[in-house]
This record gives sequence, structure tokens and C-alpha cells, in this order.
Amino acid sequence: MLQPTRVSILIAISAGLALAQNAKQQDAKPETGPAVLAVTGDVATPLSLKAEDLAGMPREKVMIAEQDGSQIEYEGVPLVEIMKKAGAPLGGQLRNKALASYILAKAADGYQVVFTLGEIDAAFGNEKILVADKRDGKSLFGYQGPFRLVCPNDKAGARSVRMLQSLEFVKLQK
Amino acid sequence: MNRVKWLILVAVPLPVLNWRAVSAEPGYTWNLPKGFPKPYVPPDNPMTGAKVELGRYLFYDTRMSVNGKTSCATCHKQELAFTDGRAAGLGATGDSHSRGAMSLVNVSYSAALTWSNPQMKLLEEQALVPMFGQHPIELGLRQGDGFLPMLRADAKYQALFEQAFPGDADRYTIDNVTKAIASFERSIISARSPYDRYHYQREDDAVSDAAKRGEVLFFNQHLLCFQCHGGFNFSDATVSESSPRRRAEFHNTGLYNVPGASSYPAPNVGIYEFTKISGDMGKFKAPTLRNIALTAPYMHDGSIPTLEGVLDHYAAGGRTIASGPAAGVGHDNPNKDSRIAGFELSKQDRADLIEFLKSLTDLEVLHDPHFSDPWVSTKPHN
Repeated sequence: MLQPTRVSILIAISAGLALAQNAKQQDAKPETGPAVLAVTGDVATPLSLKAEDLAGMPREKVMIAEQDGSQIEYEGVPLVEIMKKAGAPLGGQLRNKALASYILAKAADGYQVVFTLGEIDAAFGNEKILVADKRDGKSLFGYQGPFRLVCPNDKAGARSVRMLQSLEFVKLQK
Repeated sequence: MNRVKWLILVAVPLPVLNWRAVSAEPGYTWNLPKGFPKPYVPPDNPMTGAKVELGRYLFYDTRMSVNGKTSCATCHKQELAFTDGRAAGLGATGDSHSRGAMSLVNVSYSAALTWSNPQMKLLEEQALVPMFGQHPIELGLRQGDGFLPMLRADAKYQALFEQAFPGDADRYTIDNVTKAIASFERSIISARSPYDRYHYQREDDAVSDAAKRGEVLFFNQHLLCFQCHGGFNFSDATVSESSPRRRAEFHNTGLYNVPGASSYPAPNVGIYEFTKISGDMGKFKAPTLRNIALTAPYMHDGSIPTLEGVLDHYAAGGRTIASGPAAGVGHDNPNKDSRIAGFELSKQDRADLIEFLKSLTDLEVLHDPHFSDPWVSTKPHN
């Protein structure tokens, strides 16, 4: 249902959009993804991020085109910001062995997709992949959230992991 | 394309259409809600309100059959989301179809029409099958019978044809009849279910918590329901104005596994009937799940009477039939789609999934006068 096909990006960084309302979202949506996003693996600072944590981080919005041409606005924190907060090697540190690493995004239902730091680092791919917690200003649907990835430049939607549960960083060469 | 050729292709019941729109072809305004793309309309049959209206009269007219007893609506009843509640369609002369009548709701979005004909893509061509098909006989019309003269002589049709085809020297043709019926079918769009209000209008209370839990299961990676019943139409590949050509997909779900060369009981062998590729044995279309609670019995041959039974089939990763001519373990069908692997459902999960499917029922389309029998107040047809 959520097949980001073509995309136009609406960049609207707003570093302190503090809207913590995940608790309310949980009431009506049992059996959905966890309320905490874990960032684990070979990072300097493992994280357990709640909605209020994401609300206090740099946030962006992206527009995703539906099949009828209408636009859906997803809002959340860029994946690169979350990996930066966890201490993953980005910017000047992303070279040599650090490039031989990946981020394993896992969903609550077992779905998995791999990304690399090179895709999201500004000096390389600079992809605006988002960890979203809002859709058109409201909490995500139960089958999507509370958190999901949004890959606005992907033609197919399969990497936009729903019910995102964890981001595991793995260095292949240490 | 030679339309006569399609008559031989066979035997599938008239599919259903949906329309909704926004604004479009001259003379026609779609009233499409958010999330629904503008349907694809073939260039040689642009939508007009006059054609849709003529098509509605034809769709419900029992005079469009060999014995005046049957119309398109006989197998496609509005109150059943344009199905007939039967496992297999029944023609005017008593011939039984081998498959069930598919819903016409949102049929304009179908990349391929009917259960298992990958070549049938245009409603104008498909309409010829029930009209003139012989195996089985559905409406039972014949070239040169009294059908076209009846249209020509009927005062109501004279007005309708004049409005629908004002520039034609001879308006009363089979080509125009199929164009009008196809236009009506395209107009039948269902998008006003509780799920639509919940999902597209963000009315959080439009569906129950059970339906919301069922939605999570529906999109779960272990169940994979959404992979074949996906997108806004909860179906296989959809076409639209902006995406008019997409490859239709067909699936063997392990419904049968009978011994012998054909693992599915003849004549319902799926698209193998047309492709003659052994791997296509038992592959059928995954229909829209919109209004699915109203369209029992289920599967191409109506062999599963309830939605609960359908869940049992998929949970088992294929159906086992213990005895009789169709006995076999569908789970082991060599052509089965690898995604039909089976899964476990608790009693609660099962109930939640059913609730989710019921949230796709659009009661308005069942009563919308735009799709209703226009003859009711004037003639005893249907």
C-alpha cells in the first residue's frame, strides 16, 4: 500500500518539533511495532529511541506520490542523524575499512533490509532516507509504525521498512 | 484485433467495473476519492455519461439473451457486489459455467480480466464472451438474431443510442453495445468502505480495533496477504490512465493437487489453458478483496464457502482434499507459489483478519442508483 514510487522531496528541517504523542497512538493499535527503536551493533553509543527522543532530533519531511498522484507527507528523523547520534563513522570518518559496513534494518514481523553508510552520508549518496513517525501530521497506521523507514528516491517501496524495530550496525572489517 | 476471435477464447463471466473520477474525458466526470487513480479508458471508447447510461440499460435488460430471461445482471447482482452468490455461473439455457462470476467492482483497474485469461484485457472484448459464447452458453445471442432489431425499434433505446453515439450512421451495432456496456462497467467504482474512511480520510474510528489488528496481520511478512492482494484495490497488478499497461500476475495457491498430468481438475487449469506452459498449471488471478465479505463462495470455482475456509486454505499452505475425484494435497502442488507457505493463526488472529476483510465492504456501491436496474420502475426485466 505504501509504495513510494516517484518522489519529490520537501525538505523542511525543524530541529525541535517536539510533538510527543506516541502513547496515544499505542492505544488503538495493538500488535504493531515496538514503541522503542533500538540502535545496536558496532556503534559507540547504542540507543533506545522513543517517540519523544525522535521529536527532539533534527527532523525532515518528505512527500511521497500515491498512485493517483496525490501526495503523502512523511515526517521524521533522517537515518543519517540517528546513526550519527549512535556514533557510527560518518563524514570524515567514513573511509577505508569504515566503508565495509552496513546497517541492518529489522521490522517487528521479521522483515529485513540492508543499507550502507555510504548511501546516507552527505559526501557520498546523500540519500534522504527517513525514520518516520508521522504521516500527514498524524501517527502512522498500526501496520506501519510506530516507526518506519521512508526511502523517497526509491522507485519501489520494498526498502521502506514498516514497523521498524531495530537498526543494527555491522562493521565487516574492524 | 479481430473481435470474433475472442469469442472462441472462452468462457469467463463478465467482470465488474468500478468508476470514480475526478474530471476527465469530455462528457464524463469521475468522482474519485483520494488514493484512487483515474481509470484507463481505451482511446476508441472515451467515457461519456450517455454511454454509461445506455450501458446500464443494456446491462440490466433480459432481452439481451436468447430466451429473454437473462441479463448481465443475472450473474452480476449489485446487492452482491456484482457477483451472484453461486459457485459457478448459470447461463440463460441452463448451461453451467465452470467458474464463478467475478465481481465487477473496480474492474476498470484490472490488468487482466476474468480468472485466467492473460490475453483478455479490454472490457469491450470481454463482453462478447457472455453475449455470444457457446461453451458455455451464457446470454446465448447469435449474429442475425432479433437483438439489434429490438434495440432499433425500442423508443427508449432510440433516445439512448442517439445520445450515446450521435455521429454514427448506424448506431445499433454490437460494437456500440459492447462499448456502452464497458463504459457502464468502468463506472462501477467502490471506494467508500469503512477502511477507505479510516485510511484515506483518517477517520480513526471508522473501523474497529479488531479490524486494525487484522490489518497488521494482513501486511505481516509471514502471512504475505498483501503481496497478491495489494495496493488501493487489494488486488494484483492494477492499470490506470497513468499506467495503462502492466503485466498481469496469476498464482497457483495449492488449491488442488490431483494425480496425473494436470494437477488442477479440468477444465479449470488456470492460464495453462492459454499458454500451454506446464508451469502455468493452476495459476489464477488474485481478485480484489474489496467487498469480499459479500462475494462468497470463494476461489475461481467457488469451492470454499466461507472466508474462514479461505484462511484455513492459506494457513495450511494449500488445501488437502481427502477423498473423491479432486483428492490430493494442495500444499505439495509442484506449481504452487512459493509465498503460499502456510502460517499459524490464533483464534483471535483469525477473527481480526475477518474483521479487517469486512472493513472493505462498501455498502454504498450496493445501493448507488447510478449502478442500479433502470428497468425496475418500467418493465419486469430482472
